Amino acid sequence: MGDTKIQLKFFSVPEWQKEETYLREQHKNGWEFVRVGGLGVYHFQRCVPQDVIYQLDYNTDSTKQKSEYIQMFRDCGWEYLQNYAGYSYFRKSASEMGETEEGIFCDDASRLDMMKRVFVGRMTPLLVIFFCTILPQLFIQSHNQIPESRGFFVLYCVLFVIYLIAFIQFGVRFWEFYKSAHK
Amino acid sequence: MDSHIQKVYVPMTETGFYILLCLREEAHGYSIVKKTEQLTNGEIKISPGTLYGSLSKMEKDGLIRFVREEEKRKIYCITALGTQVLDLEMKRIARLYQSMEAAK
Repeated sequence: MGDTKIQLKFFSVPEWQKEETYLREQHKNGWEFVRVGGLGVYHFQRCVPQDVIYQLDYNTDSTKQKSEYIQMFRDCGWEYLQNYAGYSYFRKSASEMGETEEGIFCDDASRLDMMKRVFVGRMTPLLVIFFCTILPQLFIQSHNQIPESRGFFVLYCVLFVIYLIAFIQFGVRFWEFYKSAHK
Repeated sequence: MDSHIQKVYVPMTETGFYILLCLREEAHGYSIVKKTEQLTNGEIKISPGTLYGSLSKMEKDGLIRFVREEEKRKIYCITALGTQVLDLEMKRIARLYQSMEAAK
């Protein structure tokens, strides 16, 4: 078997925790994360199986002061890996942590803040496309009599469903988190 | 102090409180983490994501100010507004403590 592998994996916008778990499981199974690129192309290389915590942050402020941002995480023992679609990837070995497992956030207020940043940064553009393109086009194409518009109508229907699923997913995630933070 | 500051920072998170407490002297992010650990006998360990987010927010809201940069580390210091907010929090916490003692 080779020493590297590539896996295709798609995580939607609000699924960063699923992605963190996925990367941790891979490392536990002896596959160290190298990088991610394209549309969810994950590169791994063989390593000694280890429990390593992977964490994603979404912070557009940080792009202006990248080196200070990375330095703060490095000081706290987190290795910076890369930036991908606005997310910064970090990891830290569980053996370097005390009895309690660490994350890059230590309270619910800051976890909720990150969720809001993701919403503003990633969901707002989607909402704009949804209301300014998909919805009007759906309406226009469904009233068009030319034969080509049938194809467009189907295309916009598919987009409509994809976008709707993304919004519902995010809404549910947000709601679940909000509930758990306000117990 | 405007209502936005009141609403967001009174009462404030534990992390927020320790950040302001430490920034009565000039300090960079990681030294805030270390100092908080010392003050709380290792019970509170501020994580970098929380710290970075809090510092940017507090700087934007004028509670702390950027002083200078040393080896890629930004040094901050509390402002007059920050001190005002911290005083309010200290009084609130002292009141909580007194009530707790009185109820024993």
